[in-house]
Amino acid sequence: MTALLELDKLSLAFGGLRAISELDLHVDENEIVSVIGPNGAGKSTVFNVITGIYEPTEGDVRLAGESIVGKRPYKITTLGIARTFQSLRLFQNMSVKENVKSATYGKTKATPVESILRLPRARREEREVDALAEEVLGFFGQRLTGYRWDQPAYVLSYANRRRLEIARALATRPRLLLLDEPAAGMNPKETHEVTELIGRLRNELGLAILVIEHDMHVVEGISDRVVALDHGVKIAEGSYEAVATHPAVVEAYLGRDPEALAEGA
Amino acid sequence: MAQIGVDEWVAQSGGRRDQGTGWRKLLASAEDRVGWWPRLALVVFAGLIAGQLINDVNLQNVAFNGLLYAMLALGLNIAVGWAGLLDLGYIAFFGLGAYGFAVLSSSATGSGGNGGTHLPAIESVPVVVVVAGVVGVVIGLIALRLSGDYLAIVTLFVGQAFMEIVNNIDPGTLGGVNGLYSLDSFHSFGHQVTSPLGFYYLALVMTVALAAILHLLDTSRTGRAWRALRDDQLAASAMTIPVNKLKVMAFSFGAMVAALAGTVFAAQQNTVFPTNFTANILILIYACLVLGGVGSIAGAILGGLVVTIGEQLLSSPNDAGYLFYGLILITLVLRVRPWRYLAAVLAGVVAFGFAARGIVGAISSSAVAGGPGSGGWIGSAVKHYVIVPSSPATYGNILYIVLICALILIVRLHGIRRLLTVIPTVYIAACCWESRLIVNPSITTQIMIGAILIVTMAARPQGLLGTRRVELVDQ
Amino acid sequence: MQEFIQTIVNGLQTGCLYALIALGYTMVYGVLKLLNFAHGDVYMVGAYIGYFVIRWFGGPTSLSIPVPLLLLIMFGLAAGGCGLLGVAMERFAYRPLRDAPRIAPLITALGISFVLENTVLLLFGGEPRSYSTERFISFSTGIHFGHVSIDTVQILIVVVSVGMMFGLRELVQRTTLGKSMRAVASDREAAEMLGINVNRTIALTFFIGSAMAGVAGVMSGLAGIQVANTIGFLAGLKAFTAAVVGGIGSIPGAMIGGLFIGLAESFSASYISSQYTDLIVFGILIGTMLIRPQGIFGRPALQKV
Repeated sequence: MTALLELDKLSLAFGGLRAISELDLHVDENEIVSVIGPNGAGKSTVFNVITGIYEPTEGDVRLAGESIVGKRPYKITTLGIARTFQSLRLFQNMSVKENVKSATYGKTKATPVESILRLPRARREEREVDALAEEVLGFFGQRLTGYRWDQPAYVLSYANRRRLEIARALATRPRLLLLDEPAAGMNPKETHEVTELIGRLRNELGLAILVIEHDMHVVEGISDRVVALDHGVKIAEGSYEAVATHPAVVEAYLGRDPEALAEGA
Repeated sequence: MAQIGVDEWVAQSGGRRDQGTGWRKLLASAEDRVGWWPRLALVVFAGLIAGQLINDVNLQNVAFNGLLYAMLALGLNIAVGWAGLLDLGYIAFFGLGAYGFAVLSSSATGSGGNGGTHLPAIESVPVVVVVAGVVGVVIGLIALRLSGDYLAIVTLFVGQAFMEIVNNIDPGTLGGVNGLYSLDSFHSFGHQVTSPLGFYYLALVMTVALAAILHLLDTSRTGRAWRALRDDQLAASAMTIPVNKLKVMAFSFGAMVAALAGTVFAAQQNTVFPTNFTANILILIYACLVLGGVGSIAGAILGGLVVTIGEQLLSSPNDAGYLFYGLILITLVLRVRPWRYLAAVLAGVVAFGFAARGIVGAISSSAVAGGPGSGGWIGSAVKHYVIVPSSPATYGNILYIVLICALILIVRLHGIRRLLTVIPTVYIAACCWESRLIVNPSITTQIMIGAILIVTMAARPQGLLGTRRVELVDQ
Repeated sequence: MQEFIQTIVNGLQTGCLYALIALGYTMVYGVLKLLNFAHGDVYMVGAYIGYFVIRWFGGPTSLSIPVPLLLLIMFGLAAGGCGLLGVAMERFAYRPLRDAPRIAPLITALGISFVLENTVLLLFGGEPRSYSTERFISFSTGIHFGHVSIDTVQILIVVVSVGMMFGLRELVQRTTLGKSMRAVASDREAAEMLGINVNRTIALTFFIGSAMAGVAGVMSGLAGIQVANTIGFLAGLKAFTAAVVGGIGSIPGAMIGGLFIGLAESFSASYISSQYTDLIVFGILIGTMLIRPQGIFGRPALQKV
């Protein structure tokens, strides 16, 4: 069986700097894979290559066996890979509901003329999109429903912005979800909620999920498999326990000896 | 980190706005109660009543111009307000529409004034609009290879290129600098629009229809996508939105609206000249949009009307005073609080003026020998107030520079010092106005249009009817 | 052949002027990411300052001071006056908008340009004015061989421009101010935290850029270009094109771009058509954008995520 997402000897260089080197990685259907690694290890860059923002220098990215290298980001998302951003990139001036609805552009078809005349297809799509938005926002309990629907995104709290980013990504109806540090900046209670949420996304929506996360409790709680990166190279892969205690991983985080640790800090 | 209390504070902000005081609250609650369609109907109704009331041909033309600029601002809003693209070539499409109509529906292109093509408007207008749309797509595609800033320069060149082409191409086709004459009026199905009132109604229908269409578009998936890409292009493309396609669409839709406005303009004027499509007109349209509120349909219409009316007032020495002194008074009333200070400032302005004139008059009677430029009762009211020498040109120029320096100074000062500076500044403004500005109303108009852009952007970037936006500045 | 050389000489002259204006565009863009549309009008104001200096000292036919001194005063006053104008623009119009949406300062720039043009129209009237340089610097001075003539004014323009460009490069590369400018350009907030006076650096950037535009204005007047309130628009547009073609934000780019546009314009006027030179410059801009969008010296921008 082919994996849902497959990175095949993926490399990316900016000028002389190799950000990713010969990375092999796969995510199966309905699987949660965590990517860990120190800051600057190239984790977010991997996301950017998968979603088409950067084009790899070498290697291939395949979604369900088909290469998606060279496709525009919007095309890739339409094919079924949605993402969130580490540095929150919501549509600040749009309401919560509109943020989610805007992500359905690729799955709707009404032309401007149909929309202006409110022809049947435009009306039907609008109803569907509306229902979808409410459904997706309902995933977060009371957090993003009710009066919040019509609030502009910029008034939301930090945690709610992170939730809205996930909701917006879900509205694209993805098969694979890429979450970039979903628990960053959250308090312990909220972090716990995120852990549960990611599990629910897999169980209830049947998604495959690739997560970048620094919080080891989250990683431990959700991962079927963990991949550790350092300097754009995969240094370990396997179960959480195996990776967390892997000497190369410990070294990447803590350094080889006290002097290196001091330099790294 | 969640900030304590911020969530609640923000959640209540809507409530706090409703609890505002006085007319603001009334206005806000009235606005909430009335939906979109009733508001549009209200505009139509007001427009029809106005049409019945205005008998003067001049005023009918002014009303037509107001609606024309409203239409132009609506079109500009698509690219600038919704998609966030600074389109400086917009004027070329207005010109394209006008010249297109002139070529398709006039005697101008035939020999001896008898030939030419005389397509009815129902055929020529759609042809012109579609051509403009296609040209818009082509230019949009080129411009899109560039990031936002370069777009401005390429489109600015488009406007310049248009001027160069119509000025220099074979005068037999496009008339060169002399323009094209004797165009048809709008005619279709045996009916034609010829009277100024007829054109006013035509413009009213078109503006309202356009506003309705744009509202429907704004609330559709396309409108949402535009707003998304204006807020964050990268995130939009990661959310299935084909950014480039939508930008080209915005550009091209704007071009079509401009061309449509151009056809009506050409038919109403009966002529087209290259000078109708200069950068000055572009700035005027920008002023309409910015004043009304970038991104807002109602704002674009209001801006078009306000700027046209202001322009009209300025061109008459009797009425210009209303606008000028009225603006000063409104600014003072809105900005000087509490009312005790306001009263003091107003009294100070009056007293300062009479004192200054008294002193200067005592020293040299020729220094106050000139009369005010204003006519009407304003003229007689300020006659013994302002200092205008018998040959006021140089004096007025100096005052103008002093006035600008004083305004800059006011921006820098705060508190009581600012209030004290306001008093002589208002007086200088009045003297400068009476001695120089009102003498050259056309130049004064242009300066004021430029000032609208600068002042609105600094003081109220959302304009009269827009919503304030937040934007993450990413370098 | 003679025509060819003469065309090159004329192109270099125009190109130097464009390059000087383009430097102002490029510096301000580099530091603030702001397109200052009013920059062309600063050049126009410079041309007027030069004109009034000549008038002040007795007019072109009966100068009361020696020509070199006159030139010095013209350049000095134009540079200083335009520099201050630039600083005032920055302080009162652009600074309040530094964190506003990207489109806001651009619209303000349109407004400033319009106000400047019409203020000059109000104060000095619309009739074009001429320096009448030939009355005090004879065309017959300079270098002549065959039918090719390079007069003193042209030599002056090229020498002064090239001198200023190299001076600017040294300033940006070597001085503390230059380092501050580069620091502010790459990250304003970080620069501020490191103790760089950002406001002062930006104001000085505007001063230097505008001063060079002022000098360019005087030189264009000396070269016989008519002075009118509308000359800033086209000159600004072309200089801007030069900056983009050279790679906006790059100082050598602005120089090369300016010379390139100047030469292209003079060649198209001599060999193709004098009516459509603007269109040809436009064509060059489009061509550059399609082939090398970052310009000759620009580096492709890396998209930050």
